Amino acid sequence: MKQYFKNTWEGLYTVFVGMIITFKHLFVPSVTIQYPSVKVPLPERVRNRLYVNMDDCIGCDQCARACPVNCITIETVKSLPEEDLGKTSNGKKKALWVTKFDIDIAKCCYCQLCVFPCPTECIYMTDVYEFAEFERNNLIFNFATLTADEAEEKIINYEKMMAEKEAQKAAAAKAKAEAAAKTKKEDNSTEKNNGKEKDSE
Amino acid sequence: MSIYDVIFYLFAILTIGSGYLVVTSKNIVHSAFYLLFTLFGVAGLYVLLAADFIAIVQLMVYVGGILILLLFGVMLTNKVTDVKIRTGTIHIIPAVIGTGLLMGVIVSMMLRTNWKSEPGELPFTTTYGLGRILLTDYVLVFELLAMLLLIALIGAASIARRDNE
Amino acid sequence: MYELLKDIFGNDIIAYIIGAALPLFVFILPFALFAVYLERKISAFMQDRLGPMRTGPYGLLQTIADILKLIQKEDITASETDKKFFNLAPYLVFAGSYAAFAAIPFSGMYIGSNVDVGIFFIVAISSLVVAGLLMAGWASNNKYSLLGAMRSAAQIISYEIPTVLIILTIVMVTGTLSLEKISQMQTAYFWNWMIFGGAGWGLTKFLLFPFMVVAFIIFYISSLAEVNRTPFDIPEAESELVAGYHTEYSGMKFAMFFLSEYANMFAVSAIAVTLFLGGYQSPFGYLGNTLGISWLIPIEQLFWFTSKGIFFVTIQMWLRWTLPRLRVDQLMAVCWKYLIPYAFVNLIIVGIITLL
Repeated sequence: MKQYFKNTWEGLYTVFVGMIITFKHLFVPSVTIQYPSVKVPLPERVRNRLYVNMDDCIGCDQCARACPVNCITIETVKSLPEEDLGKTSNGKKKALWVTKFDIDIAKCCYCQLCVFPCPTECIYMTDVYEFAEFERNNLIFNFATLTADEAEEKIINYEKMMAEKEAQKAAAAKAKAEAAAKTKKEDNSTEKNNGKEKDSE
Repeated sequence: MSIYDVIFYLFAILTIGSGYLVVTSKNIVHSAFYLLFTLFGVAGLYVLLAADFIAIVQLMVYVGGILILLLFGVMLTNKVTDVKIRTGTIHIIPAVIGTGLLMGVIVSMMLRTNWKSEPGELPFTTTYGLGRILLTDYVLVFELLAMLLLIALIGAASIARRDNE
Repeated sequence: MYELLKDIFGNDIIAYIIGAALPLFVFILPFALFAVYLERKISAFMQDRLGPMRTGPYGLLQTIADILKLIQKEDITASETDKKFFNLAPYLVFAGSYAAFAAIPFSGMYIGSNVDVGIFFIVAISSLVVAGLLMAGWASNNKYSLLGAMRSAAQIISYEIPTVLIILTIVMVTGTLSLEKISQMQTAYFWNWMIFGGAGWGLTKFLLFPFMVVAFIIFYISSLAEVNRTPFDIPEAESELVAGYHTEYSGMKFAMFFLSEYANMFAVSAIAVTLFLGGYQSPFGYLGNTLGISWLIPIEQLFWFTSKGIFFVTIQMWLRWTLPRLRVDQLMAVCWKYLIPYAFVNLIIVGIITLL
């Protein structure tokens, strides 16, 4: 019987205590952050979307090789000797036209391994994290500053130059070969002469 | 035809129609649910007869109590729900005799009763009079019924308890 | 009220229909909209959240948006359901909970039907809800729905007993079943309310006071169970039964269940208020009396009634977000081992006191 009344009292009392606790929480400021309008400050070294500062890129392909998921695609074309591509901010001379610098951010695993090898520190993680898209293709970011036409032009230029070079080389080789043939003849004759001389000695 | 007549016919159709469905439907749970409307319709008829207390007791006891227990019984014994009830005609002759006798009694009662057709004075509330009558003139019946219910309750509890041990 | 409507429309039947539809459109629908918003906000604040904030200022239009969504949704009826009863059940449930509003005195001017057995009528008509829930659960042809309906019916029937015993206690003190008369008895100031021992001074009042408080607590607990609110929400226990008896319902039919749940919440609060807390009576006189404006009094009464009702609805929500769900055996133990004996003892003691 005593237990019965004790149970009753405990039931009511504990409900009352619980209600006081929830009542107190009515006035506790909420922890909700109203996301799109209010954003949580991100930590300093946050790793989010990749960004490439093309002004500094020398097209060395080191980032693409470091990438564990192969999300970076780089295509480069050598510049013509007379073209001046300028220098990077840390004083490196640029020698390559970067015709294609694509990062498929959908594949990216945000490991930051591409950032360390970069000699000019031009690829880095930004704090942009809202880049949802409806199509996966839209997640491929093109960083190349050259337009398609320009890239085409550079490739053609390079090919032309290479062709010229090749032609020159071929010519040079031909000339060399001819010269070599000549010298060989001369050599032979001198040898003969020498032989003769030896013989005469 | 006043609005009360319309309501009366609505309740009458509800009662008789659902009563018919109770008898004819093949699924026992359907029958039980149709019974709900029958009982409800009867309660409505009581209201139209200015017997408000009886109407509410009808609702409370039949719809709220007996019908729910009936449904419980039907639903918990799950074999019953699958059984198709035979609604064919069997034992025609005894059935005709039985129903004929019942019908005769009812009809003769209807014919002999002196129905009040003149507008009588309706009591505004029936609760007071009912309570008074129950605890004076019919107190013995009232107490006996209470005893009967108590005995049934104790019996049910003891049967349920014995099952547990 | 009917006289007024009859004057306006000049027809008995139209006046009746409009009078009957009034609580639905003027009261229950706005109340449900408001209560859903209130519930979400209260739950959010109690859990240190913000709740709906996006739709409208402070999310005020959220429930309206939800209702619009529910109206647009496809009305799915699963192929294996018992179509007739499946479609009928939500209306039956709503009819049951709406019918209870007929006898609730909202103010001195407006009471749907001033029947002399008002409180008894409300208790009886609530049984339609039980039948409707059983129907919904069974017709869904889904074990979770059936389990939910069974639990719900068992729970409501069990908790009807302490409720009725407490109502009996009040009826014994007041000597009437009419909610209107009970309200009128508790007029003037708040110390005339039933919970403080009713009107009149003397020894009886002070003797009654503690037992009335006990009665009120028992009534409130059992009325919570009757409307399937937490901590007694095992019929729709989300973690066990999906959603109980309304698992299979969608669109407007689901909205009917939802509406009837919120209507029920207010109905039981309104009954508690009428029985114990003076109904529509103001706790300290009327402004209309002081100013001598007679038409202000019913409006004030309506204001007091709704604010008292909403206060208790808020406490229901408060309890919901405080307490976990009871187990089935605990639920039955609370009812049969605690509430009913206490209610009985209370009934007998109050009976003796009123005889004195």
